[in-house]
Amino acid sequence: MKLNWFVRKGVFYWPVSIIGWLILIAGLAYAVYMFVDIDSRSHSASDTLINWVFNLLIVGLIYTVIAYFTERKPKEVSN
Amino acid sequence: MKNKDEFLKDMENLKVPDVDVSSHQKAVKMAIMNAERSAVLGVWLIIIPCYFLFCVCMYYYFHVRTNFFEATFTLVSDLDKSSKTKFLSPLLLVGLPIVSIVVNALAITHVTFQRVGPNTKMIKEFSLTVKVKLWNILLIIISLLIVSVFMAYAIVENITIKN
Repeated sequence: MKLNWFVRKGVFYWPVSIIGWLILIAGLAYAVYMFVDIDSRSHSASDTLINWVFNLLIVGLIYTVIAYFTERKPKEVSN
Repeated sequence: MKNKDEFLKDMENLKVPDVDVSSHQKAVKMAIMNAERSAVLGVWLIIIPCYFLFCVCMYYYFHVRTNFFEATFTLVSDLDKSSKTKFLSPLLLVGLPIVSIVVNALAITHVTFQRVGPNTKMIKEFSLTVKVKLWNILLIIISLLIVSVFMAYAIVENITIKN
């Protein structure tokens, strides 16, 4: 089953289908939720940033792995 | 000038050369995974351990004693405290680079196993081809360095504790 949800632009995957956009929006919404949650519990701005950046990298990794397996394959495959 | 019949006879008796396909050196060698895609995935897989090691270098080697870098170590040590998240730090710092090594290695290697030679003496031949793709090789080297750094740290720390 071909899942053409994303297309690769350099090192980033851009959604090209509704499901791809939903995944991206869900990831961004979770990142915002994380920021608000971490900010409410941290004592300083640097505390917030460091915790948020680390979690953001994990979210980015999960997004990239999903996009990797659901990428739209190019017409000319060169290896 | 030859007679037409003689010419036709010569053409009929013409020997066709035998081509040994098995000895043909040029072949299309397709790796298991696409090199570019594997390189992109490899970058994302090593970004977290690289970020952690960057914070370690800035804090301990360049003596940039800011809360920003110290908080990274606190974050990772907090993961180890909880039983539910204890597996996360080795997975993120060692497991992901190992996956990156595997993914990029599969993208640049091609393995063939075949029998060559005449029918009476068949020799088994195993050949490993490595494509020189700069980014994939670079990612494999960086991932190996990351894994070796963390494994060395784990070994040294265990020796220190036992002593």
